[in-house]
Amino acid sequence: MRVLLFDNEAVQALINPHHRKHRRVLAHLESHRQRRAKAPSRAIVPTTVRVEAGWNRTRPGSAAINRLRITDAELDSKTTDTATEIRAETGISVVDAHLGATARSLTTNDLIILTSDPHDMTQATGNKPATIITI
Amino acid sequence: MNDLEILDQINKLLDDDDPATVNTSMRLPRNLRDAATLAVDHLGTAASATMLTAEALRYSLETAVMEATLQAHYQQHPHARPTLAETALAMAEQDGSPLATQPAKINQAAQEIAVRFPHADAEAVLIWAEARETMSA
Repeated sequence: MRVLLFDNEAVQALINPHHRKHRRVLAHLESHRQRRAKAPSRAIVPTTVRVEAGWNRTRPGSAAINRLRITDAELDSKTTDTATEIRAETGISVVDAHLGATARSLTTNDLIILTSDPHDMTQATGNKPATIITI
Repeated sequence: MNDLEILDQINKLLDDDDPATVNTSMRLPRNLRDAATLAVDHLGTAASATMLTAEALRYSLETAVMEATLQAHYQQHPHARPTLAETALAMAEQDGSPLATQPAKINQAAQEIAVRFPHADAEAVLIWAEARETMSA
């Protein structure tokens, strides 16, 4: 199964129609939607990315992005331990470490990360195979 | 209910983790039911034919909601709609296609295919672009 993973700026670009990268992120969602018709795939966002991007699902302003079926990857105990190790090894931010821990926890080898910081994502994912796309 | 309220209601139902089930009067073509039973029994496709049906239904509904949401967004923000070439470039990037580094070729393929096949999707653009590459090699 293909998994599409969003970093902070990808979410911010998606939320704000006036963001300069809004269309580019939508193009990736369109591609994701078209591929879904032929093979299983899903889109996920680490919950700490939502915090950083200001995406509160209960706010009226989040109604549009809530409808896109992007599901939460929570910072549970196991993910926290992995993220802690990633952060200690690389010095990347807590949010990026959570994203990395999420990526490493997935069983799929068809992982796509939309990011504005490919360098940090490379560190975050470690040996986990991932297609890192700079938005 | 307007269209957006319907989408929200569908999403709410999809997110509801209530395990309650209902007997439904929906009629399933016999051949599909039999095929599902065989797939479950012999291919391990799902734990049961009911689960297989429910998972397929959920997946279809999620895809439909996503598509309707995007269309509603484009109606509200027409400038936000990605072009066929932009979507094809995104698909090339996601697929790890060599075309991802050749946006000009994708643009050209998108323009050409749109003339002959107005409803072509991003995958068709990539196939068209790959075919042009092969022909010119």
